[in-house]
Amino acid sequence: MLNAPEPTPAGRHLTAALVLVVALVLQVSVANRLPLPGAVTPDLVLLTVVALALVNGSLTGVVVGFCAGLAADIIPPADHTIGRYALVYCIIGYVCGMASAEMDRKSVVPFLAVAVGALAGTTVYALTGALLGDPRASWTIVARMVPLQVFYDVVASPFVVWAVLRVTRRYERADRASRDRFALPAAKYRAMSGRGTGL
Amino acid sequence: MNDTRRTRSVLGVLIVAALVLITVDYRGGENSPLRGLRDVGAAVFGPVERASAAVVRPVGNTFDAITDAPDQRRRAEKLERENQRLREQIRAGAIDAGRARQLDRLLGTAGIGGYKIVAAQVISAGQGFEDTVTLDVGSSSGVRRDMTVMSADGLVGRVTRVGPATATVLLATDAASSVGARLEDTKEIGIVTGRGRRGLGDGGGTPMKFQLLNANATLKVGQRLVTLGSQGDSPYVPGVPIGVVERIDRPEGGLSRTAYVRPFARFTSLDVVAVVVAPPKSDPRDAVLPPRPAPPPSPSPSVSPSPHKKTVKAKRKREG
Repeated sequence: MLNAPEPTPAGRHLTAALVLVVALVLQVSVANRLPLPGAVTPDLVLLTVVALALVNGSLTGVVVGFCAGLAADIIPPADHTIGRYALVYCIIGYVCGMASAEMDRKSVVPFLAVAVGALAGTTVYALTGALLGDPRASWTIVARMVPLQVFYDVVASPFVVWAVLRVTRRYERADRASRDRFALPAAKYRAMSGRGTGL
Repeated sequence: MNDTRRTRSVLGVLIVAALVLITVDYRGGENSPLRGLRDVGAAVFGPVERASAAVVRPVGNTFDAITDAPDQRRRAEKLERENQRLREQIRAGAIDAGRARQLDRLLGTAGIGGYKIVAAQVISAGQGFEDTVTLDVGSSSGVRRDMTVMSADGLVGRVTRVGPATATVLLATDAASSVGARLEDTKEIGIVTGRGRRGLGDGGGTPMKFQLLNANATLKVGQRLVTLGSQGDSPYVPGVPIGVVERIDRPEGGLSRTAYVRPFARFTSLDVVAVVVAPPKSDPRDAVLPPRPAPPPSPSPSVSPSPHKKTVKAKRKREG
């Protein structure tokens, strides 16, 4: 672990896939069962997609979002039309990936990206539900759920983004061994986003 | 900028792929050609979820213990009081032949109309707007699609999908769920529908609503509901307690009344449940409902009209 391995694309993809699987399993078996007020739970998968997109850029964001969404569509308790989360997370990965360039300038960007991602994600998901005539996507439910969902996602985002960065950082160290390891988070975000253009 | 032509073309391709998936799965309905994909999901993620549930159970229990602490204290006090009352009831019951016969009958019917069940544990819950859970039993335990799921308190939902070692349950509180229900002590039937994820629609205490088919039938606060039983006892077997009517909406000039139902099962902390693998031989009617608690000595003023309770009790005595 201390001797960071060579940053191969295969290794990076494997790490991303592993992070996604862990996020999915934690989402269904832990997060969704928390008796939180309002019966809404933070969307860890969305936060993971946002984090990976912010670090690696749009292309990774799109692909990661699609794969995460497809997995979320077929993981056991899911009971909606296959492809809905794939569509939603794919779009979110793209949008948040575009914001990765902006991370050079402001450190508030991750939180904004999470808030926008959560808002857009829940809304687009509800919209697809409404288009397909899903009784769950009725206005009363959506109107109550969206603000709570955004709030919980923003509250949970620092932990998830930190964890994702922590796991993916080993590849960064090899890239920029000279850089200070104990840099501030904002500086770290900047360091991460610098490489996104390389993809 | 990251927004290269390649990225955009990948985005386009994947969005089209997602839309195609949605279309194919939606048009296919129950016999969707993508069903295989779900089976793969159940086969791959099912064991992982089971393992994860075993690991995180203590964590969840701790969290539950913390958030439920005031609730548990209240519950303990309530149970203590109830215990006291039950002890008194038993003492009184020794001399009350009528009540003893009733108890006998209760035991008898429970024996005759018993459900054959497979016990299961909830290992994960659904995301977004849907109210679904996964159980740790599957086709290898004899669980099939469209079986009723109940807890010790009442109806939980029905099985919608079965994997080798997992089963997905659509909870009765889900907005897509509708259950045929019957009012206790009557033949009046209606439909219980969910109000969205754990009652998120509006109001956490009453996550279901009930609509009577007969617009002229009497409907009162405090009446209890049991499942009517579906054709061929699938997906719902008859006689499973659902909940209590808590509030009735009477829209002006409207013909249909909507009653809001507080369920017997505790949907926020589902843990051990039972899948009914074989229906009862005969409809247990109201037998599975818990005995109505005796009215407290100093009844607090409530919305529920007391004459109704008296008539029910009187009727029971006459029957007994």
